[in-house]
Amino acid sequence: MAPYTNIPLSPAELSYLYTSLSQTPPIRPDGRAPTQFRPLVAETDILPSANGSARICFADGTEAIVGVKAEVEQSRVSGAATGQVESEGVLGLGTGGVGDVDMDEEDGDEEATRAGKGEEGWVEVAIEIPGMRDDDALPVFLSAMLTEALLADGELKDRLWINRRFHWRLYIDILLLSQPLSYPLPLLSLTTHLALLSTRIPALISEKDEDPLFNDDWEASRFLYPQSKTASGGHRKPPVTLLMLSVSENVIADPSREELAVADAVVAISVAPTTGLNAESAYKTVALRTVDPPSRLTGAGVPTALNTTAGGTSLSAAEALALREKDQGQTVWRPPRGGVKRAMIAKMIKMVTEKGGVGQEVLEGLAGVET
Amino acid sequence: MTSLKRSYASTSPSTTLSSKTYLRTLKSGKVQKIVREVYLRQDIPCSSQLCTACLDLAPVGFHKKADPPVLSATPAATEQLPQGHYIVPDTNAFLSAMDLFESEGVLQDAIVLQTVLEEVKNRSLPLYHRLIALTKNEGKRFYVFFNDFRLETYVRRDAGETINDRNDRAVRKACGWYAQHLEKAVRARKSARCPVVIMLSDDRENVRKGKEDGLPAMNLRDYVAGLPDANRLMDMVATSREGRAARDAKAQMIYPEYVSMSAMLTGVKAGTLHQGVFNVSPYNYLEGSVQVPAFDRSLIVQGRDNSNRAVSGDLVVIEVLPKDQWKAPSSKAIDEEDVNKNETAENEEDEREAIVTEQERRALQEEVRKTHGKGAEGRAQPTAKVVGIIKRNWRQYVGHIDRDSVRSRNKESRAQQTVFLIPMDKRVPKIRVRTRQAAELVGKRVLVSIDSWDRDSRYPVGHFIRSLGELETKGAETEALLLEWDVQYRPFPRTVLDCLPAEGHEWKVPASTDDPGWKGRRDLRDLLVCSIDPPGCVDIDDALHAKQLPNGNFEVGVHIADVSHFVKPNNAMDKEASLRGTTVYLVDKRIDMLPMLLGTDLCSLKPYVERYAFSAIWELDQNADIVRKDFTKSVIRSREAFSYEQAQLRIDDKSQKDELTVGMRCLMMLSKKLRAKRMAAGALNLASPEVRVETESETSDPIDVKTKMALDTNQLVEEFMLLANISVAGKIYEAFPQTALLRRHPAPPKNNFEELSNQLKVKKGMELRTDSSKALADSLDTCVDPSEPFFNTLVRIVATRCMMSAEYFTSGTQSVPEFRHYGLASEIYTHFTSPIRRYADLEAHRQLAAAIEYETLDASLQSKAKLEGVCKNINVRHRNAQMAGRTSVEYYVGQALKGRILEEDGFVMRIFSNGFVVFVPRFGIEGLIRLRDMDGGEGEREPESVFDAENYALQIEWEQGQRKVELFQKVKVRISDEAEESTGKRKIRLQLV
Repeated sequence: MAPYTNIPLSPAELSYLYTSLSQTPPIRPDGRAPTQFRPLVAETDILPSANGSARICFADGTEAIVGVKAEVEQSRVSGAATGQVESEGVLGLGTGGVGDVDMDEEDGDEEATRAGKGEEGWVEVAIEIPGMRDDDALPVFLSAMLTEALLADGELKDRLWINRRFHWRLYIDILLLSQPLSYPLPLLSLTTHLALLSTRIPALISEKDEDPLFNDDWEASRFLYPQSKTASGGHRKPPVTLLMLSVSENVIADPSREELAVADAVVAISVAPTTGLNAESAYKTVALRTVDPPSRLTGAGVPTALNTTAGGTSLSAAEALALREKDQGQTVWRPPRGGVKRAMIAKMIKMVTEKGGVGQEVLEGLAGVET
Repeated sequence: MTSLKRSYASTSPSTTLSSKTYLRTLKSGKVQKIVREVYLRQDIPCSSQLCTACLDLAPVGFHKKADPPVLSATPAATEQLPQGHYIVPDTNAFLSAMDLFESEGVLQDAIVLQTVLEEVKNRSLPLYHRLIALTKNEGKRFYVFFNDFRLETYVRRDAGETINDRNDRAVRKACGWYAQHLEKAVRARKSARCPVVIMLSDDRENVRKGKEDGLPAMNLRDYVAGLPDANRLMDMVATSREGRAARDAKAQMIYPEYVSMSAMLTGVKAGTLHQGVFNVSPYNYLEGSVQVPAFDRSLIVQGRDNSNRAVSGDLVVIEVLPKDQWKAPSSKAIDEEDVNKNETAENEEDEREAIVTEQERRALQEEVRKTHGKGAEGRAQPTAKVVGIIKRNWRQYVGHIDRDSVRSRNKESRAQQTVFLIPMDKRVPKIRVRTRQAAELVGKRVLVSIDSWDRDSRYPVGHFIRSLGELETKGAETEALLLEWDVQYRPFPRTVLDCLPAEGHEWKVPASTDDPGWKGRRDLRDLLVCSIDPPGCVDIDDALHAKQLPNGNFEVGVHIADVSHFVKPNNAMDKEASLRGTTVYLVDKRIDMLPMLLGTDLCSLKPYVERYAFSAIWELDQNADIVRKDFTKSVIRSREAFSYEQAQLRIDDKSQKDELTVGMRCLMMLSKKLRAKRMAAGALNLASPEVRVETESETSDPIDVKTKMALDTNQLVEEFMLLANISVAGKIYEAFPQTALLRRHPAPPKNNFEELSNQLKVKKGMELRTDSSKALADSLDTCVDPSEPFFNTLVRIVATRCMMSAEYFTSGTQSVPEFRHYGLASEIYTHFTSPIRRYADLEAHRQLAAAIEYETLDASLQSKAKLEGVCKNINVRHRNAQMAGRTSVEYYVGQALKGRILEEDGFVMRIFSNGFVVFVPRFGIEGLIRLRDMDGGEGEREPESVFDAENYALQIEWEQGQRKVELFQKVKVRISDEAEESTGKRKIRLQLV
């Protein structure tokens, strides 16, 4: 059965596209520069009762909404240590009482107390794409990629830690409103990024290991990603995952559907602002995944020599294969075989993370969205 | 892309939509973000009679008639504000001076802002209810203005602004708007006098900000100072926060701080802390106890620092102390008045104020020594300390001023001074009160309320509300005890009286049986019914009849006043009755649950007239076993109303052979059989020291005290009432298994009897078995001292005190075995027979009426939650009514003994290491005889004594030689009364002879 490629292009068109994208500089069908992003419209805080939310519309008509909800959850305390506390506290006999519950934690740096206490399971990403079940490959794969990027900085999960007994569970619900015209990963990632930036967590007023009590003033709640400057002078921000593709020696950012149809390799690069002091560049890669390009599923073109209608001779199967291999896609379209060179990956990463690179462009563009 | 956001951003005059966002933490620990949309309107009237523009805006009522404006056109003027003024109190003002706002005739024309009302509700529900009552009081002219819904006065919370600041700002904004609005209105009317809108606050900062905004803002105290009769009014204002804050700076904290609310909740949940109601021992004000579910026995809280500012009745959180600090309950009687007698209330001069005074420490130290001396044998009980308070249950307290704490007795002097108020309730600590009228209030019964108890103050701080009158005058004392037991004694309001039948006393059972009133009623007018009640009873609830049937069985009927016919569910009268819960009987006064017209006339089963009744009719066989039972609404005509004595005489009089008397003899015979069966089942025969005060008929001054006599006829009536109650309980439970209103008497926990059974064993060699009510009843019967007939009654009195109290409940809230009535040894029980004086009975009537399909059950009686609320209230009311009645008797006994010196027999009921309690059955009084008073001198020196706790004995060496006082010993005491010098209060004094 012929694979469903969702690509209504003939081999000749594919070949044409491929050739034009292979030029130096590449010529993109929509006339964009190689690293240019498509225009988008965004707004945040669109859902009044969610902790954070955002909506982005791409110019191609794809649109997504993300809602972030935080819920208090009791932590499963591990080990015998707590079991002991429970049993001795049955009647509170002869114990120090309140002191039992309070741990002797110093009121030091908040970040420091939390460091390393978060758990990855506290972030839950759910993606809904119209026409797909939630256990279809695409939503599962996308949510895994987004989760991986979100957790990669290691700080988010720690920020969900309330005290030894309680934590926040973060539900990120991503809703694609349109059909997945192009690969929806960048759209969903950018929307999630905006939603998380606007996400606020109620301010804690109880102390230490007590049952959490929160300030009832929504205005007093703090941002999940603090808006204060980090040591390096940047902001802590959630990562964005961008798609980069290579066509022969060229690297192209933010591919459109047609471009994806002829990609040699597609790589999803998650990039976040660096927070460390001694970082060389302002952005770093936090996750990297290659994506199986849809171009692999396109039908190959038939070389003239094989085309009997155009006067070609009919050859045996082995001969025909040899001929196609020899052609190497020079004269007709041949779907890429996969694989990407190290240097190419390095080039892509550089394009994303370098100063003035794609990553910076996107993040700064998104920073301009008013929350 | 069109935005999906709802735009609230611009609150320009044209937009009328806004929103507020806040967080709510649920009980489950979940946190919800809540967004409320607010629709702002411009048609909320200002309700001033000056304003014509707002007249059209006033909401139209049921009769298409708009409510008239509330605020007067000519509000009161003061010296400072000659043009008149409206007041806008802020939340603090209401919280600290609700009594002031409630006082009649002053502080009228107030605007109660919605913001303030809601804040008051959040801070204190009781005060909120009082405020609501105020706004309904037409004379006070308090108008609730919904400023948060009016466009011009709506205030959005700024970023970083606390909710308090936002609310204060809303108050100021509303004040500003009112001022402008009124000015415009006045200009339109072309009148010259424009009232000022004054913001009253107890918060200096708010006043300052108000003045900054150009508003006429005033501190509450400054404002009150400008009113006539300022001294009296000023006392009703709680000490302002500034005053307290100023003291905070220099005073040292003498009480430990409470732990935070979240820490308490966590601790209680985790089981490291416990939550319960703090009860102070009536004998020892330094010892309290808290019953918590985790322990069988209640935890003891000893000493002032452990009780940490908890007042009896508060809901506290406690922490159990380490085992080495566990103690036996105090064996000493300590009275606050005696220990800390010469304290000065002006603590400013005290250089150091310790929590525990030297005297108190000495009083407690002995305890420790004693428990240590006894070794590990372990009568020690767990002790605890209060670490926090969940809910204060402060109410208004009645008391008198400690004369010693008043510095200047000069009546002219208006200097403010701090005095101590000693509450009537011994369990409540002295209250420190600042007043300018100290000299006037000495020797009066006064009402105060507690405002706060800060860490730096040894005693709570309160303020005066009003004076009830001279100590020991009948009016003042009666009002005092009604207030103290929270009995609603005001006359019935108009709305309640409107619910009465229009015919008034002329109402009659309709002559024609076709009348709707006869529907479903059986005509029992030909039955020979009579009623038996105490002499002089006017609210006759019940009447009886009996006749022999041809088959040899008996037909017995109990006919109860059909109150539910007159009091329909959910009308104003029903609500008032459910609030009052019960009729309260004082010696000289009755405070009715229902208006007189019903209670003493229309419902009362008076003789010779036809009355509606609710009848329970049984067929009993010769053994008084039930053959058949039947419930019906009916019409009866009572043939005679007997008193107990009269009925007894009639039954005993052999010459009487008429049918009525024969019926009564049947009743008597059957009641004896019923009683025997009940006793066999294990019903308890309990005793309480009841006395009756004989009063002079005109002045109702007491002349003599008599113990109540029990006649056979008392028991006759009691038996049949029990029978009716039990039968009805079964019927309504069958019909409404979830919502039947029943009454249960839980079996007492075993250790309640430990003390008594040990005492009996040690002193008399008797055994008290408490495994079941039957065993208890039987062993109580064996506790007889042949030489002392009263001994058995004495044991019964003590045993009664060990019991739990019976309570009303709805059947859905308890499992079936818990329904049991321990004292009556009945599986199920309810109250049905006194609907005129008990609300529970009225509810039972309604349920029974529905059970026999006479009428449909009202929704309020089907809701478990609502019924539970009713039960909770009537349980409290019932207990309070009993206590009030008892206190009233005590007072009258005291009055009857006034100026007399009598010698009477008494029994030792309890032994302390420094005194003992003697009970005098003749007057039903109980009094403490302290060792140091035994010499007759005013407590110069305590006679030497040896306290033997194991044997409940106290060996005393005094002038008249050695003397041993033992538990249950019969002693002769001299009863006299004396006026205590410091308080001017009269007390009964017992002395050992």
